[in-house]
Amino acid sequence: MPEIDLTVVSSAVARLGRKPEAVIPILQALQDGYGWLPGEALQRVCEMTEITPAAITGAATFYDMFRHKPRGKHLVQVCRGTACHVAGAEHVEDAFRRGLSISPDRDTDLAGEFTIETAACLGCCTLAPVVRIDGATLGHTTAEMVPTIISDYPARQTATQGAASTEEMRDAGKAGAVEINVGLGSCCIAKGSDQIFHALLENVARCGANVTVKRVGCVGMCHRTPMVEVALPNRPGAFFSDLTPAQAGALVRGLFPARGFWRRAADMWASALDRLLVDGVAPRQQLKRYSMSRRDPAVRAFLDKQLHIATEHYGRLDPLDLDEYLAHDGFTALRQCLPFGEANTPPTLSCEQIISTIEQSGLRGRGGAGFPSGQKWRLVSRQPGEVKYVICNGDEGDPGAFMDRMILESFPFRVIEGLAIAAIAVGAREGIFYIRHEYPLAVKRVRAAIAELERRGWLGVRLLDAGSPLKLSVVEGAGAFVCGEETALIASVEGRRGMPRLRPPFPAESGLWGEPTLINNVETLALVPWIMRHGAGKFAAIGTAQSKGTKVFALAGKIRRGGLIEVPMGTTLREIIEEIGGGVPEGRRLKAVQIGGPSGGCVPARLAETPVDYESLRSVGAIMGSGGLVVLDDSACMVDLARYFLRFTQDQSCGKCTFCRIGTKRMLDILERLCAGKAQPAQLDELKHLARQVGAGSLCGLGKTAPNPVLSTLAYFPEEYEAHLKGRCPAGKCTALIKYSVTSDCNGCTICAQRCPVHAIPLTPYVRHEINLDLCTRCDTCRKVCPRDAITIT
Amino acid sequence: MSAITITIDGRPVEVQPGESVLAAARKLAIDIPTLCHLEKCGPLNTCQVCLVKVTANGQSRLVPSCGTIATSGLVVESDTGDVHEARRTALELLFSDHVGDCLSPCHRLCPLLLNIPVMIRQIEAGHTDEAIKTVCETLPLPSVLGRICHHPCEQGCRRGNWDSPAAIRDMERFVAGQNRAAPVPRTVFRKPDTDKMIAIVGAGPAGLAAAFYLARNGHNVTVFDRQSAPGGTLRNVAETELPAAELNADIASLSRMGIEFKPDHELGARMTMDGLRREYQAVLLAVGENEKTAAEKLGVVLNGAAIKTDPNNCRTNLPDVFATGSAVKPVKQIVRAMSEGRAAAECVHQFLSGLPVHRPEKPFSSIMGRIEPGELRLFLRSASASASATPCDRCRGLDRQEAVTESARCLHCDCRSSGNCLLQHYAQVYGAEASRFKSERRTFEQQLQPGGVIFEPGKCILCGICVKLAEMAREPLGLTFVGRGFDVRVAAPFNRQINDGLRSVAAECVHHCPTGALAFPDTPPRTGGVS
Repeated sequence: MPEIDLTVVSSAVARLGRKPEAVIPILQALQDGYGWLPGEALQRVCEMTEITPAAITGAATFYDMFRHKPRGKHLVQVCRGTACHVAGAEHVEDAFRRGLSISPDRDTDLAGEFTIETAACLGCCTLAPVVRIDGATLGHTTAEMVPTIISDYPARQTATQGAASTEEMRDAGKAGAVEINVGLGSCCIAKGSDQIFHALLENVARCGANVTVKRVGCVGMCHRTPMVEVALPNRPGAFFSDLTPAQAGALVRGLFPARGFWRRAADMWASALDRLLVDGVAPRQQLKRYSMSRRDPAVRAFLDKQLHIATEHYGRLDPLDLDEYLAHDGFTALRQCLPFGEANTPPTLSCEQIISTIEQSGLRGRGGAGFPSGQKWRLVSRQPGEVKYVICNGDEGDPGAFMDRMILESFPFRVIEGLAIAAIAVGAREGIFYIRHEYPLAVKRVRAAIAELERRGWLGVRLLDAGSPLKLSVVEGAGAFVCGEETALIASVEGRRGMPRLRPPFPAESGLWGEPTLINNVETLALVPWIMRHGAGKFAAIGTAQSKGTKVFALAGKIRRGGLIEVPMGTTLREIIEEIGGGVPEGRRLKAVQIGGPSGGCVPARLAETPVDYESLRSVGAIMGSGGLVVLDDSACMVDLARYFLRFTQDQSCGKCTFCRIGTKRMLDILERLCAGKAQPAQLDELKHLARQVGAGSLCGLGKTAPNPVLSTLAYFPEEYEAHLKGRCPAGKCTALIKYSVTSDCNGCTICAQRCPVHAIPLTPYVRHEINLDLCTRCDTCRKVCPRDAITIT
Repeated sequence: MSAITITIDGRPVEVQPGESVLAAARKLAIDIPTLCHLEKCGPLNTCQVCLVKVTANGQSRLVPSCGTIATSGLVVESDTGDVHEARRTALELLFSDHVGDCLSPCHRLCPLLLNIPVMIRQIEAGHTDEAIKTVCETLPLPSVLGRICHHPCEQGCRRGNWDSPAAIRDMERFVAGQNRAAPVPRTVFRKPDTDKMIAIVGAGPAGLAAAFYLARNGHNVTVFDRQSAPGGTLRNVAETELPAAELNADIASLSRMGIEFKPDHELGARMTMDGLRREYQAVLLAVGENEKTAAEKLGVVLNGAAIKTDPNNCRTNLPDVFATGSAVKPVKQIVRAMSEGRAAAECVHQFLSGLPVHRPEKPFSSIMGRIEPGELRLFLRSASASASATPCDRCRGLDRQEAVTESARCLHCDCRSSGNCLLQHYAQVYGAEASRFKSERRTFEQQLQPGGVIFEPGKCILCGICVKLAEMAREPLGLTFVGRGFDVRVAAPFNRQINDGLRSVAAECVHHCPTGALAFPDTPPRTGGVS
């Protein structure tokens, strides 16, 4: 092995400091520098800093992002989130392994070109299955596409530098009367909206039109990305979706050829588009495909039931444009809480008034458990002492959830404002954003937003030029679901392994560095400015008796219109799935909806009238969780899903307490046996026994809720467990229990034989095909490609 | 600040603010099991076997008592069915990932539970007196067993997977012979007299064994037999296999324990069941296999020619009459007949002590099962490579040198901490089943450095005590948890050996390790129980 360059260590230490708590940032810097963590470098860190060998080894082996062996030149991350799992991520991973010749026991090819890893959840659930290659995200990946992705990779590499450059392109094309808004959330970028953004800018510049091309946050309609909205003053905007960069250019040229646009647009809107957007296809048909307005029934269905508070002005705000945020009532809530003027006139609202407003609003924590936020704030505010902290919990680890990512990416100033109000209310002078590293764009935007505020002198010594000082910083997670738990999160910020501790004492009494600490979820903080501006009563008027306001959900899985939605509490699951989401795809049947991720449960279709509020969801065996909503159709196997979640929690358990560390593993053992058709009937009782014991005996929330996916599927789908005991998988998902066969409808067209990735179907033209079951990997490709539906699963 | 009162199992107790529920329970002498608790380390909250139930606002939940701070008015329950079930489950989960045998296969397979590994260590160390104590305090007829035992121990011996098993029976015979040759042969320790009189009918292997165990417990035992010399079927063994002198010596040893022998007494003739029951507080029938006609004289309910007993407690239809051995069910092996006698003796003892009567349970042991060749090599590292010692004269048995040579072949595959292990102790207390949760076993590993601690990661329960002690002592290298989830292990940083991480606190860590994961190689065999 070549000698490693230890200057990476010295520069990281020089930049990040020598204190024990610098350990995770230093490890992240080393990982960036080397692509992995060479032992020599770790020892050097210990020599140069106060970090002990035990601390650095403990942290380096705890978090997902750290590698302990060299990495290939390129990194392929296959997302294993819930939505990706039900969409067949396993087959995608298999295809990459086959295509790159990486055997299951290795993670890097022999040439050292590609390394393959799985990621817990990349948070682009509407694009499932998702793959990230060297930081560029690809959505809707299928096993069939993989060979092309691999062969085209070098070419693609140069084209996907957009995320970075788009972020840097500030203030370009400002101040036009007409705005073209381009959604630039992570999902949109994954689908190529950054290239569209550049194409639009280029064309606008060329034609000299009075148009602003604006980067905006998440539009919410993730199922239609990449998406562009042409917003005309005093008129409803028009959306253009599924665009390509070439079409985007044509769009600009078509809309703004010369002066007299308004007349032209009014009269010839459609025809101009048709002509320019479409080559040789019947114009009207194509137009429908690309454009839609807010009056479009599908768009209306998607939007009408929604109420945007945390995501207010969604799709219209440039995430990093502070002036625009100010123009949309930004920081007015915060100003009410600060003294103003030269004379330091007391603020409109005292700390007590802020807290009682939050209390009266009925706001409860959006991170999952639903603890009353006002009560939490009051607890912290009552603690004696000068030093207190506020932490924004952006460690959205639930696979299948991406609300917090979207909010941080789209509304960084709003979350900062919410956090600042909280800091004033509880008397904290330091705020920390803890954001998972899988969300690079969220990290980047929050950092940029903080930098912008600092540039204006609105942070640090005097908040918004008034009041007490506030220092903000961003801490990047390193990949650990359990760090969403408050005490684990604190351990992680302090540079330790993210292991929860017993509560009480709660962080409100003894949190970060033993000081009183308020920890709120991203969405909770994003709701605060609205509540302060509109009053507690208005917020409390929305929702149900015990669950007030709105909730943001990430709607994904087997659904037609997936995306980021915000609905009043009490909206029923049916309304969300059928009306907003448009139901499951044609020909499929709704089976269940998974809510709350690994801590939540599966609500069966027959309980679809359940309203979404904390108590109702709990009563049906699920939890609100952070708001991931994965819709499952009849192709989902519930035993497989339970196994999926147990694999997740078992891997993500911090390993501290017996019940969680070993109990979840033993539950998983039984589920693995069930999925392989090798379980004994008595083991089903054992599974139930273990589920109860793990729930009762675990130390923290992760372990206590880990059995929920098993318990809820056992309660609602017992017949599927019974079938697996008999060696049958009714949904045809568990590969050990299913066989593919060809029916007499086959005419020997050889398509299946050509597409089979493992050559399990001999190429026999005009003869009914046969599948060699020893070679078959059950990847389902043949069944999907067969034009005569002649392939069945038994 | 003033003291706080909480209630545990209905009893109020006063504690100082900041004290844990565990500390409060200990004030009430309530035994709450703990594995990861060590006062100076603070609550580590890893093992979760100290769970108790607390009730607040009408809701009950299980919390670890070591880390739960007592708050005024707290209501705690430590002795309910669900608390016990949770503790048992925690222990069973720990065992499902525990690679090691508490008791070696030889020890576990011995029907009389002779602590063979300890005996072998004593022979190897030349401590013959101690070996005599180990053997003679456990085996009723050591000279007899040293010659004609079916030695199931040797069938389980792991050395047999390599070349041939350790010659355990020969070593036993050597020890018994050393005792006989001593100027004053050892007299078995006897508990203080109980004044209880027990009649045992039949002086065969089962009856003699029962007499031994009952006498050891301080009871006054009289053994009746219709023959003129005690021994029963043992008298039928060929002289070449078992010289009569050996049997007589063992019986003499029983006599020295205070056991009274009454030969030429046959039940039904001069001696009646009613008579025995009047004179003795308990009667144990160990009359061997009966003819139908002979059986009828016994005065108890029969099942064919056999005496009908409750298999759970060796009792016949008469409350104070017990039966054992071939009289109940034919037993082929002498050692098994003696084991039956031992079980019956335990039942009689419980009966006479006013305790609920049930057969003794097998001692608890984690069981590693079949070991792989790679694992076997780890055990072989500490054993002598020589082949089995053949006695120069088969009739004489092993001489001292041969016995020592043979003893060095033992792999010592028992746990160094057996009998001193909290995990094993609480498993027994809570009736945990070591193999409750079936799973793939981890590979047995062992870190062994000359002069240092032995670390067996498979036995580590991740209590975190050693990690914490090393941190508190500011060990230069120290220990840490490595990995996450099920695969977390305790290790020294940078792939170094555990020993390197424990420069100053090794002894303390070994002392406080709740299992046998950390041990010193030269730890003398420990016989005391868990404190």
